[in-house]
Amino acid sequence: MIGSIEVRSLSRSFHTTVRRPGFTGALRSLVNPERAVKHAVSDISFDVAPGELLALLGPNGAGKSTTIKMLTGILTPTSGEARVAGVVPYEDRERNARNIGAVFGQRTQLWWDLPVRESFAILRDIYEVPMAEHATRLKEFDDILELSSFWDTRVRHLSLGQRVRCDLAAALLHDPPVVFLDEPTIGMDVVVKEQVREFLRHQVEQRGRTVLLTTHDMTEVERLAERVVLVNHGRLVLDGTLDEIRRKYGSTWQVRATLADAHTEVVPPPGIALLRQEGPQVVFGPDGPDAPTVHQALKAVIERYEVTGIAIDEADLEDVMRAAYVHAGPGAKGA
Amino acid sequence: MNAVKIAWRVTRLNFRSQLEYRTEFLLMVAIGAIWQVSVIVFATVLLTRFTGMGGWDSSDVLLIPATRMLAHGLFVLVLGRMHGIGRFIQEGQIDVYLLRPMPVHRQVQLQYFPTNAIGDLTVATGLMAGALSRSHLDWNAGRVTYLIVCLIGGMLLEAALFTAVASASLRFPTADYWSRWLEELLGTFGSYPLNVLPKAVGGFLTFGLPLAFVAYFPAAVLTGHGHDTGVPYWLAAASPLIGVLAYLASRLLWRWSLNHYTGVNG
Repeated sequence: MIGSIEVRSLSRSFHTTVRRPGFTGALRSLVNPERAVKHAVSDISFDVAPGELLALLGPNGAGKSTTIKMLTGILTPTSGEARVAGVVPYEDRERNARNIGAVFGQRTQLWWDLPVRESFAILRDIYEVPMAEHATRLKEFDDILELSSFWDTRVRHLSLGQRVRCDLAAALLHDPPVVFLDEPTIGMDVVVKEQVREFLRHQVEQRGRTVLLTTHDMTEVERLAERVVLVNHGRLVLDGTLDEIRRKYGSTWQVRATLADAHTEVVPPPGIALLRQEGPQVVFGPDGPDAPTVHQALKAVIERYEVTGIAIDEADLEDVMRAAYVHAGPGAKGA
Repeated sequence: MNAVKIAWRVTRLNFRSQLEYRTEFLLMVAIGAIWQVSVIVFATVLLTRFTGMGGWDSSDVLLIPATRMLAHGLFVLVLGRMHGIGRFIQEGQIDVYLLRPMPVHRQVQLQYFPTNAIGDLTVATGLMAGALSRSHLDWNAGRVTYLIVCLIGGMLLEAALFTAVASASLRFPTADYWSRWLEELLGTFGSYPLNVLPKAVGGFLTFGLPLAFVAYFPAAVLTGHGHDTGVPYWLAAASPLIGVLAYLASRLLWRWSLNHYTGVNG
């Protein structure tokens, strides 16, 4: 289907050599190397609907980039199947390339020694985009990303923020239905980040593009994604909407209370743990899977102790994700 | 047709961008010329101190380095960007090439304009002009055509060797170092009639690393030494065809390696 991504039991392994410690170990590895198989991605399945923005999240080395590389046709999977806009990317790389745009935050797809506008013109020829269509699209991108102030500069002289904005435009100049973004805003300042987010929102909401985004920036996830897929150790840990994930893992609240009597013996109510106590200052948190909500906890603390001050801290998305990493072990699926 | 248009456009832009850095541009041209200094010294010594080598007249011998250098200059200009594939992999550049609807090999060739080729080709053209002016041969249309075909064959053979190393680099990035060794070897032994070398070395440079087909065999056929090369005459005469076949084989190897590309994670 145009614009959709279908991933079924996708796996990718790499063969590596186990490094033995010390000089003798290095010599032994040279003579008799010990081979090992590293499973970068194991049996991952998910779908992205046309016009949906999905955040593919996970810690470093979780398998996000390898998954994106398979979906863009860079790598061939060891097993499993993937279709991007109806094309098997690793079987028909060039056809897939016409259907997708991709931005890898750390590297550029522009010609290093050429002015940006020349790179755009070369890409126009490669993707055979009609001249008028190219001009219209470039103007649209310029309106949001403010490219014209530096698009006559050589790529090698651009700042990171300018370069990634140009890369985003370059990736979308041929109007691809599917876009892959691997940490597109890494290292950017907040102003440029917001500009890029606005651009992405526009591309999804107004242009109906399907976007698969990887990022470590949870603000970005909150602002852009409705649904996230979490991978860890190469396996899919959960797949759900942000609301579902918050409901399941978002209970990492804290209640900070100042007790009227600093010598009060603190025995927390059921389902609540005492995290810290320094004089009259005490901090409570949830204890176990049956912990109360933050509001129930607040009520319980006030009822049990005489307090002169109280405050609550609810977990932000970063805390929720941390909790999800910890609680949902490898192999768990569905939020 | 679109592919030719794109290649021409990128080459033009790359050349223009190099021209904008005047000093760098001139230095690169000079480097291309200076790199061939050993061949120039060889040619000078050959012409001033010796009357011949290995049974060849010195004017005939001069045709070997001239052919080799001109084929090399064409290789550097047209197909010579296969060095450094290992570095491209580390930098993720091959990943970027795989994202475009264009053959990766073509993108590697279009990554920059090889300014040093101007130096290479200037020296090589001068040497070829010198070799032809000293030659006692009748340079009729047939001979000239065969020389041109041999130059293209030599260019393709050199491209085949470097493409094979680049294919290995796609799997094992450190294989890049072999391209330096290869360049050194081609430069060192490419100028001599190989019959002056020990048989084992000559055999290796014919059937192991087929350097003999770049310039030695073509020059031997052109100068009438084609029956004294140690290989059947037809094989020596078919040097351009060997170049074409070797290049096609290397491209198949490249395609196979690319299909098994694992990037930096592999």
